Amino acid sequence: MSADTIANPAQPRLATARDYLELLKPRIMGLVVFTALAGLIAASSLSGIAVNPVLAAVAILAVALGAGAAGAINMWYDADIDAIMSRTATRPIPAGAVPRDEALTMGLIMSAVSVLLMWIASNMLAAGLLALSIVYYGWFYTMVLKRRTAQNIVIGGAAGAFPPVIGWAVVTGTTPLDAWLLFAIIFFWTPPHFWALSLVAHKEYKKAGVPMLPVTNGAAATRQQILIYTLLLTPVGVSPLLTGLGGALYGAVAIGLSAIFLYYAGAIWRSRAGDAEAGAAERQLAMKTFAFSILYLFCLFAALIFEHGFGLYMSIGGIG
Amino acid sequence: MTEPEVTHADADALLKAQKRRNVWLAFALVAFVVIVGVTTAIRIQETDFSGGDRLYFSGYLDEAEKEAADREAEARYEAFRAEEAARAASLETDNE
Repeated sequence: MSADTIANPAQPRLATARDYLELLKPRIMGLVVFTALAGLIAASSLSGIAVNPVLAAVAILAVALGAGAAGAINMWYDADIDAIMSRTATRPIPAGAVPRDEALTMGLIMSAVSVLLMWIASNMLAAGLLALSIVYYGWFYTMVLKRRTAQNIVIGGAAGAFPPVIGWAVVTGTTPLDAWLLFAIIFFWTPPHFWALSLVAHKEYKKAGVPMLPVTNGAAATRQQILIYTLLLTPVGVSPLLTGLGGALYGAVAIGLSAIFLYYAGAIWRSRAGDAEAGAAERQLAMKTFAFSILYLFCLFAALIFEHGFGLYMSIGGIG
Repeated sequence: MTEPEVTHADADALLKAQKRRNVWLAFALVAFVVIVGVTTAIRIQETDFSGGDRLYFSGYLDEAEKEAADREAEARYEAFRAEEAARAASLETDNE
């Protein structure tokens, strides 16, 4: 990547606290914290291990800082392509508010602080997993996968799937099958989630030279992959019922929302979303699928939090 | 290409922004120190140093490892008690 490729903003502006917050990708950070919290609460409920609430809060803070650090490193590296795409051109670095080196420094310092805090508040396994997830997103996804392969989202999706496993490790110092089921849910959810958005934003990705699936393989292949990954996600999404991780509430939410997700994926597959001749309704369908995928993940993990954190768990005969 | 001229107003705004950042950094550093301090205090309180527990490690990868560590700690404690008893007995013998 060369500095020359980065668009020189016409009017650099003074950085505000909001710019630095934006570097941390707060929306992703929120989802990461939420899924880590779900893992932590479920682990505590199922193992019977009570974690000191202050230590649990520090561990969750460490997860948030780690996610923010990875986001800052991502924005540092991707500043050149962010400047090209209109969706990302207003980010703090391409907008000229935060110098690139400052973003990198912030990311590296926050990475170290987050791993250290996690180790102090919980254990080495949780700290190691947090470090691994930061390296996976900040280096492996951002610097290796994103610009090289159309499978960037599939392989890179693991980065966002670590938080519930980390939350589980905070409590028990182990990562049992249930923790990896939560990992699998996020892993299989990531491709249909991002590809639904990329059906709408593929021209931008093409302009920036990012090999997203609609750019390399076309919209039809992407629509088919969205359906395939949603079909794979469905059994994974309801699998916590089999191990006893999810109870009646989780079961109702997972089965109901999986059916709706499948409906959207089927509608996308039959549509022309992403094609040149696609109409406004088809673009809207892709955006609706993208928005629904966020709701799907949020509700699944919220159901786990309600069941295990508020005593609403009713076993429906898992084999675990 | 010439550098853009920095006016007094720009310089003032830059200085103000820098000061604001410094205040935030100071807050972050203080918060970090407080968090580490509180966390360490809680960990010390919750750690059973007489058993197999170790500070900054809250979990054994398997139960057998934990039991082995507890047995080792108990053996150390028993050896210490036996040594103390032997020393006390030897002192008593000397006094007689």
